[in-house]
Amino acid sequence: MAPARGRARTKPALVLCLPSETAYLGLVRELTKRMAEVAGFAEPVAERLALAVDEATTNVIEHAYKGASDREIELRFEDRGPDFRVEIVDTGQMVDPRAVPRVDLDRFVSERRTGGLGVHLMEKIMDSVTFRRSARRNVCALVKHKDGKDAKDSKDAKDGEASSSR
Amino acid sequence: MSELTVESRDVGDVVLLYPNGFINAHSVRLFEAALQRAISLKRFKIVVNCAGLTYIASAGLGAMMGAIEEIRSNGGDLRLASPNETVQNIFEILGFNHLYRMFSSEADAIASFGSAQGAA
Repeated sequence: MAPARGRARTKPALVLCLPSETAYLGLVRELTKRMAEVAGFAEPVAERLALAVDEATTNVIEHAYKGASDREIELRFEDRGPDFRVEIVDTGQMVDPRAVPRVDLDRFVSERRTGGLGVHLMEKIMDSVTFRRSARRNVCALVKHKDGKDAKDSKDAKDGEASSSR
Repeated sequence: MSELTVESRDVGDVVLLYPNGFINAHSVRLFEAALQRAISLKRFKIVVNCAGLTYIASAGLGAMMGAIEEIRSNGGDLRLASPNETVQNIFEILGFNHLYRMFSSEADAIASFGSAQGAA
């Protein structure tokens, strides 16, 4: 793989392809946690980042691939200096994250709703969560700034992307 | 390697569940089955002892949400004991700490059923 140009502090990415089976979610979590720690995050933050990537991968399996276990998911981990970025890529059905209802805990109880928690967790944990469709691939990009867990700014939301940034 | 085991035992009319490992979309069925088993036996006072629970994803939280209405409508509750920092943090991120009573020890969680009813 050619080294990235123009981003002096970006290290080469780690790319992992895995089957669309929930049995691999444990591996996804462990790998994400380890990569986040290598990028400089403390263990509690790395645990939360691992949860966000677990949730994004679960969404791909359950919604984009509708439970099919014979598809492929690509995870791309990048340490971009000030940012830690993970992309979760699939070739399944496009799922519009804007269609996911906002989480209302009272309604969750009264209506026995259990969906939408994953996206909500991702948004709470990450500084930026974006979804885009490109070349028949769905790309969910999760970004965490290293300059503080409560950083609000995000430069990752682009035109045409469904995004949520804190 | 087993990702999750869920043992249970009874203390009076309280059912204790002991998830050991982590709960994600793969392992959640075991946890869900344990909850449903208690409900099917009409045991509605449930304590989930989280001492052995290293991690819980939204699938596990969803399993609890899917059961809580039936549990509470039958005069019971689902309470948590001894969550580690990671698990407690996940509950707080979602605001679930306002939906479920959490106790630092199993004994306190069991005792709470003797002095209080219903949700927090």
